[in-house]
Amino acid sequence: MALKISIGQYYAAASTVHALDARVKLWCVLTVLVAVFCTSNAAQLLLAAGFVAALLAIARVPAGRVVASVRPLMVFLAVLSLFNLLFVRTGEVVATLGPLSVTSGGITAAALYTARFALALVAGSLVMLTTTPTQLADAFDRMLSPLSRVGIPGHEIAMVFSLMMRFVPTLADETSAIIDAQSLRGGAFDEGGPVRRVRSIVPVVVALLASGLRHADGLSRALDARCYEGGAGRTHFHEQHLGAREVVAALVTAAFVALLALLGFLF
Amino acid sequence: MTSAAVPIRLSHVSLVYEGGVVALDDVSLEVARGERICVLGANGSGKSTLASVVCGLLAPDAGEVELAGEHVCSDGRPDLEAYRRARRNLGLVFQNPDDQIVTSVVEDDVAFGPENLGLPREEIASRVTRELHRVALDDYAHADPSRLSGGQKQRVAIAGALAMEPDVLVLDEPGSLLDVRGRAAILRVMGRLAKAGTTLVHVTHFMEEAVEADRVIVLDRGRIALEGTPEEVFARGAELADLGLEVPFAARLSQRLGLPWTCSEKDVVDAIAGVPFGDRTLLGHRPDVPKASCPQMGHLISVEHASFSYSGRAQALDDVSLEVAPGVSTAIIGQTGSGKSTLLRLFCGLEVPDSGRIVVAGNDTSTKRGRKAVRRVVGYVMQHPERQLFAETVEKDVAFGPRNLRLSADEVSRRVNRALELVGLAGKREASPFQLSGGQRRLCALAGILAMEPEVLILDEPTAGLDPRGRAMLRRVLVRLRERGITLVQVTHSMEDAARCDRVVALDQSHLVAVGTPREVFSPENEERLTKGGLGIPRSLRVARELERRGWPALGDPLTTDELVAAIGETAGTGAFAGETVGTGTFVSPQEVR
Repeated sequence: MALKISIGQYYAAASTVHALDARVKLWCVLTVLVAVFCTSNAAQLLLAAGFVAALLAIARVPAGRVVASVRPLMVFLAVLSLFNLLFVRTGEVVATLGPLSVTSGGITAAALYTARFALALVAGSLVMLTTTPTQLADAFDRMLSPLSRVGIPGHEIAMVFSLMMRFVPTLADETSAIIDAQSLRGGAFDEGGPVRRVRSIVPVVVALLASGLRHADGLSRALDARCYEGGAGRTHFHEQHLGAREVVAALVTAAFVALLALLGFLF
Repeated sequence: MTSAAVPIRLSHVSLVYEGGVVALDDVSLEVARGERICVLGANGSGKSTLASVVCGLLAPDAGEVELAGEHVCSDGRPDLEAYRRARRNLGLVFQNPDDQIVTSVVEDDVAFGPENLGLPREEIASRVTRELHRVALDDYAHADPSRLSGGQKQRVAIAGALAMEPDVLVLDEPGSLLDVRGRAAILRVMGRLAKAGTTLVHVTHFMEEAVEADRVIVLDRGRIALEGTPEEVFARGAELADLGLEVPFAARLSQRLGLPWTCSEKDVVDAIAGVPFGDRTLLGHRPDVPKASCPQMGHLISVEHASFSYSGRAQALDDVSLEVAPGVSTAIIGQTGSGKSTLLRLFCGLEVPDSGRIVVAGNDTSTKRGRKAVRRVVGYVMQHPERQLFAETVEKDVAFGPRNLRLSADEVSRRVNRALELVGLAGKREASPFQLSGGQRRLCALAGILAMEPEVLILDEPTAGLDPRGRAMLRRVLVRLRERGITLVQVTHSMEDAARCDRVVALDQSHLVAVGTPREVFSPENEERLTKGGLGIPRSLRVARELERRGWPALGDPLTTDELVAAIGETAGTGAFAGETVGTGTFVSPQEVR
């Protein structure tokens, strides 16, 4: 039993999207996400799909990697569309099965919501695939820096976020090792009633917590040894500057949103 | 960089942890600029605490501490501002590489320290390039550290510390979680640093690693037990063994033969080769070796043409076939990435081969029912099994498995008692597993698996990361299990451990390269292939073969130091090594080499 966690894994490549300033990239993708969630017809969805596909091509990220990184969330997506299909009761009834019925409104809703979500997921994963956690943390750092003025530790929040990203794969590996070890000692993860299954998780969680604390201990030693004292006085290895590339990215995003709005009026 | 002050000065430092555990007891130590110091000690000797004090992460309860020219602690009162300033000139690399890497890109990680120091960007960039080059990781600048090997990760950590240009680099057991190759790479880096004049404080329990040091300090229960040059300290072999350390092979051998003391294998061979051997040549003589009892009954584990690959990655095992007979102990050797651990996972039914089949005690692992049956027969001790301990007491942790089998309370306690008895932890049943020593924690995890009463025990590097005492404890338990007829299969990096097993299986790059008794596998015909695969042969055998190359008669392939000493004694004739002045040994001290 191996847990595969690939959400938020960086894919190194030389592309315009990779080189884009992380702050601008985040704002652009946020804008695209909001826009995608406002789509309501097929033409808009097609445009959005084309736009996201173009971005993937420019970013030189293989489709397989994108699929792998959103796969864990696909289950959630499938459940969502099933709910829409079965429980939306607008329009005509197309088919019935016992107490359940599928309506035309349900089909539209299922298709629309699923497509929106899928596009949003892919766009979101594009950020993670093309931005290193350090760049992300730096970007958040800058974006949250106004918060520091009102006493909220913007930089520290960004740092915590970045460390979290760093330790997700490590803890995932350990979880699967713990599950393997305990299932070999008769731990029942895939048998028995729900109570037994839930109970079998307790020792896993305890062992994982213990290992988390051990990592925390080591990590704090490492942070101290490397003179990490919070954001003040820190410099940044990676340059963050706004140039022509960032302006183009902003313009392209704006054009996309305008076009999407236009399609909304037309259809 | 600070002035010409002594980088580290501790005087009469004591440190007591909560609960009254004395970690350091009146320790005084001075480290000169450019010096390479090695701190040796068993687990619990206080050496890690000393490392923390020396790199400014821990202030003692009593005594004076001067670090990087700052008077950071006087009479147990720390000056926090001075500590902050001092830490900027002190670097630390410690045991677990995973905990030291804070980002997901190698170069960003190396840059982390310099960023914290507030250096300008150009300076950071040039340091990152320079340090990655120094640890020979230039090509990995953009790699994800979690995909690197342990040794590579540790080199990233060293680069990260060096990029801060510390006055002193403290290395706290940097190699104890690495394989042989990773450890050798770390030592090479340290050698280069020492040559470049970096002040090094190296904490370890591997005595071999101390040979190159300028000065060796041996700690025992928080006190400095021995101090001096490596040859001064190592010459006191008996005392060192009492302190829970392992005297290097060459030193042990030279002592056993009554030769001048040395830590270099080449010197020992030179010295022995210089001794004339008697007429009683033993050409072709092979000592009688007790043959592994190989019952004629069927195989307990049989692997037939098994191939396996983890999804989307290269082949982990390619057409491997082998058998394990009941009651026989088997060692699996191979480089990291050769497929050894995968083979173990196939044995326990945690993975199923893509093609071919695996039958354990008559159960084919390809079906779910078969895998379930296999799990009742096989006990699997993973790497670092102590990391998976979770219960409040040793007893409860060991009882986890039997309870899951829904045995009666009597049967559970019988099995727990028996398992704890076997590993020698019967007196610790009420203790928390987290209060045990490293070796005891591992034995506790082992007891948890023994309580399942497996017929086959599968162990993945059972001694990795333990100090000599822990290793000895574990080996004793394995011998005991073998006597009770439990079939043992262990992955090991130690050719000496492999030589003690009945059979050896050698893997290289997912292929099976040799199977047989240790003598067959480590035969002269296989030697080159094993060495090329980065494995080598047991040290005693290496010395014997070297002597044979220098014209000695055949020594009968000794696999252990005892066999080697006996064979040499017999060949040379009694008397040649009976403590007489041999006088042929050349004594090369590390100082002269440097």
